[in-house]
Amino acid sequence: MSTYNPPLQDASFVLDQLIGLDQMCNDLKLDEVNSELASVIVEEAGKLASEVLAPLNSVGDQNGATVSEGAVTETQGFSDAYQQFVENGWATLTGPEEFGGQALPNVLGTAVNELWHSSNMAFALCPMLSQGAVEALIAHGSDELKAQYLPQLISGEWTGTMNLTEPNAGSDLAAVSAKAVPDGEQFRISGQKIFITWGDHQMTSNIVHLVLARLPDAPAGVKGISLFIVPKYLLDEQGQPAAQNDVSCVSLEHKMGIHGSPTCVMSFGDNEGAIGYLVGEANKGLSYMFTMMNHARQSVGLQGLSISERAYQQAVQYSQERFQGSNRDGSKIAIINHPDVRRMLMAMKAGNEAMRALAYSAAADIDRAHHGDAASRSRVELYTPIVKGWMTELAQELTSLNVQVHGGMGFIEETGAAQHYRDARILPIYEGTTGIQALDLIGRKTLFDNGTALKHLQQEIQASVDTLRNSESESLQQLGRKLETALKQACNAGDWILDNAAQDKELMGNVSFDNLMMMGYLTGGWLLAKSAIQAEQLKQTDNAYGAPFLNAKISTAQFFADHYLPRVGQHSETILTGLRHTFALDIDLL
Amino acid sequence: MKILVTVKRVIDYNVKVRVKSDNTDVDLANVKMALNPFCEIAVEEAVRLKEAGVATEVVVVSIGPKACQEQIRTALALGADRGIQIETDSMPESLNAAKLLAKVIAEEQPELIVMGKQAIDSDNNQTGQMLAALLDMPQGTFASELKLESGKAQVTREVDGGLQTVELNLPAIVTTDLRLNEPRYASLPNIMKAKRKPLAVKTPADLGVELKEHSKLIQVTPPAERQAGIKVASVDELVEKLKNEAKVI
Amino acid sequence: MAILVIAEHDNRTLKGATFNTVAAATQMGGEIHLLVAGSNCKAVAVTAASLDGVSKVLLADDLAYEHQLAENISKLVTELGKDYSHIVAPATTSGKNFLPRVAALLDVAQISDITAVEAENRFQRPIYAGNAIATVESLDPIKVITVRGTAFDPVETKGSAEISEISISHDAKLSSFIGEVMAESDRPELTAAEVIISGGRGMGNGENFALLETVADKLGAAVGASRAAVDAGFVPNDMQVGQTGKIVAPELYIAVGISGAIQHLAGMKDSKVIVAINKDEEAPIFTVADYGLVADLFDVMPELQEKL
Repeated sequence: MSTYNPPLQDASFVLDQLIGLDQMCNDLKLDEVNSELASVIVEEAGKLASEVLAPLNSVGDQNGATVSEGAVTETQGFSDAYQQFVENGWATLTGPEEFGGQALPNVLGTAVNELWHSSNMAFALCPMLSQGAVEALIAHGSDELKAQYLPQLISGEWTGTMNLTEPNAGSDLAAVSAKAVPDGEQFRISGQKIFITWGDHQMTSNIVHLVLARLPDAPAGVKGISLFIVPKYLLDEQGQPAAQNDVSCVSLEHKMGIHGSPTCVMSFGDNEGAIGYLVGEANKGLSYMFTMMNHARQSVGLQGLSISERAYQQAVQYSQERFQGSNRDGSKIAIINHPDVRRMLMAMKAGNEAMRALAYSAAADIDRAHHGDAASRSRVELYTPIVKGWMTELAQELTSLNVQVHGGMGFIEETGAAQHYRDARILPIYEGTTGIQALDLIGRKTLFDNGTALKHLQQEIQASVDTLRNSESESLQQLGRKLETALKQACNAGDWILDNAAQDKELMGNVSFDNLMMMGYLTGGWLLAKSAIQAEQLKQTDNAYGAPFLNAKISTAQFFADHYLPRVGQHSETILTGLRHTFALDIDLL
Repeated sequence: MKILVTVKRVIDYNVKVRVKSDNTDVDLANVKMALNPFCEIAVEEAVRLKEAGVATEVVVVSIGPKACQEQIRTALALGADRGIQIETDSMPESLNAAKLLAKVIAEEQPELIVMGKQAIDSDNNQTGQMLAALLDMPQGTFASELKLESGKAQVTREVDGGLQTVELNLPAIVTTDLRLNEPRYASLPNIMKAKRKPLAVKTPADLGVELKEHSKLIQVTPPAERQAGIKVASVDELVEKLKNEAKVI
Repeated sequence: MAILVIAEHDNRTLKGATFNTVAAATQMGGEIHLLVAGSNCKAVAVTAASLDGVSKVLLADDLAYEHQLAENISKLVTELGKDYSHIVAPATTSGKNFLPRVAALLDVAQISDITAVEAENRFQRPIYAGNAIATVESLDPIKVITVRGTAFDPVETKGSAEISEISISHDAKLSSFIGEVMAESDRPELTAAEVIISGGRGMGNGENFALLETVADKLGAAVGASRAAVDAGFVPNDMQVGQTGKIVAPELYIAVGISGAIQHLAGMKDSKVIVAINKDEEAPIFTVADYGLVADLFDVMPELQEKL
């Protein structure tokens, strides 16, 4: 088991310096919010995360949820922790004020969510899913549904779930077959849903399921899917949970990781049909899902950062306690002094800081987009698949490095290093696989607008290159040269894609993954380079961070530039080949 | 009943303290600071008394540079009602702190003053007692239980070897020990509210206190490192070594 | 000018901490007077008179001092102390309770918990839970000091000081004694024990602490615990040794199934001899142990009990 120290200083650096939280809140007329409040909020959340949730992380892994007679019992200790989480108001952070939320910006919610996921990802999935349900209701629910369900979902008194996947409808939701039959004002829902995260538990007095299903007269395919609210307990006239609805958890999946998070097979309408209420208009369910998608996907990307940060902290801790080899005077050497271990720790640190910079930046763009900023809106669209795809892929590498730092002990479950690695493995899969993200980035987000959003990003990176190259600092100049090289390689690949892949779907698919990863490393490296510029400027002034932190920031950006930026070139080179041999073999030769 | 609680900004207790290389002091540059844990217990006790309807107002006071307003805000987020910062350039010696607090108490007239038994930086364990002496008030130090009944405070104190209970006339000063309560976590709505709670700033001059130097810090050094000893292979060897080499049994 | 040391006692016997405190006072230079304030405490004064280095015992026998209430004792000590160069008390919960009041009433600072005397006005004291040692110089005419007993070897009892009874009664009438519950144990108190045997999370549960108790009984030792063991609910928290528990420095400290978290080390690292028994050979406790035994405590403890 490892302890968790919330990375408060880096969080505040990214919020205050890289994003410019004070300026942003000013622009968005969020008078109440400033960097001082933000740092208090992150710090206080950090206490609950590190002292209450983090110790339960390995408990959840070893004693996962269980199911009996249709009801799930969560890991012991989770319920108390959840009550504390709710009583302290953390579920309300970004919710709108009229339903009891604190209406704080999404970027601050992201900084706080990072802590929940680092401390206990399996646990934090529960409020994360509730947040998805809240967003769907806010965007598309009737006033009546909002009044009935939002206050309790926002306070966390009830939790929410998303019921999309079916045995035959995974990445392809067009295949959804759950049925919804009109019954007066309401609907009777029936069908089976799988992979339902926190589909059942005993932590709250009600659970609000959001369910995709088809009406009897619905057109086939994606245009015939509607969204329903199906509460676990139907509400009585006072709005209190009363009679049990016809929905239950029939089994739990036995998973590779996140054992503390019950992944349910949910059965709707085994008897008379589960009562459901239509959200928004009929047949628009799938498009409603898309309105929440940016946020949901960014949340999963954030989990990639969170779990990598936890793994990194564990690796640093272990490598100081583990001694291997001796000095000439006979004293033993902690493995943190071995260059290869140090390389792994730096790779984790640099990767994490790049991910944090990207995740918070993308979250801030959601805030700006909500306030009508068009440039931010297209930036959100571009960033989202990178946040989800690249960050969760990088998390595989970084959590694996933690296992490696632990050596043989890392392969032993007792140290807990394996848990992070196993838990992380779901991240590139759920909420749209890496393949889906890669296609989204290259198709909808690049080719669809003829590369307009991409070009804007490239121009901004070029501006940073110019700043770096004109800097008086040798370190920054060097950083500028490396970023410039990477940018050129990425521009080449981008241009090639725009020229060649628009007409060739197979080519687009072949290179989509490399394009995603290339953009991830480029954006991460750029944001760290920007951080280095800020750090260099701050060094000249009286500041709250101190020289060791600021110098570390610059060195970390340099390490990223040396270690990760060359991967931009490598992916670019791959893209330029078109990976034309992808389909060279007949299936029977595979 | 009005309760006054004092809070001190100290190094976070999780941070490993490092002595400066020139041995002038410990190095606090850019180190994470926090509310002194014993003061946090004091705040919690006062807030509980308010929640129980015993107290009507909880006023929190801190002494130090502007940064200590962060700790006042933390206390406000835990449920205190308003704050007073006594602005000084550095952390004053205990006696000076007690004199400053005595003036604030003369103005505020609280019936109960709850303080941490000691700060985890200087480990002095004296400000509460000094303040009590200056105000000629009774004190209940190292409290593990506090009851307010019929105009008196009953304090159970953690003393060497057990527990002692004393009864104090009010107004009184109570200093907290670890087991008095388990402080809550600040809730988000209260953090938001804390921003709007009043926080007054006073200077020693406003209070008419002249700070005197009573002692000088000559140097600060790291404690002597203990050298690792030897590994013994068996219980027999251990007993033999303890008997004949260390001569402790 | 002379030094006034305040004796720690329970009206019947003089507490050990006084012996160490007098030892510290002898290093400050000057004649030492020892104040015994209590009620029906003459017997204490007789023992006090035998402490080496003490030239006079002041006996203030008055009902107001029976329970060492800080409000009363501090007024007595302030009145007597005006003519001394140093006023010194043990850094026990009693000394810590009343002495700062004395300092404030005399308008001088208190130097708490000293571990070394460098000069009559210069002392060392631990700060930051012992993670740093401060050297402090007093600028006051009267030095008010509490002494960490474990840092000074106790004085012997070959002296024969005169006993002078004083009749100054101070009853501030601000506070009253209601009662006390002293831990009942045949074993010595943690802070006074010469041998301590402590268990950690490795003990597994509270029942297994019986293994330590049988060994403790053989050694006349006190039984302690790490914070991890207390937090796990194995044993009550008054057994906790560490930064937030009791700070101890016995002749022999035996850590059993304790990994050696920094908070624990802060509470026991001044012990003269430290023994660590742990099956994890990488446990940090071994870095401070004089004798380490890498073994399963459940094998070791019965064997140890047998062989002692």
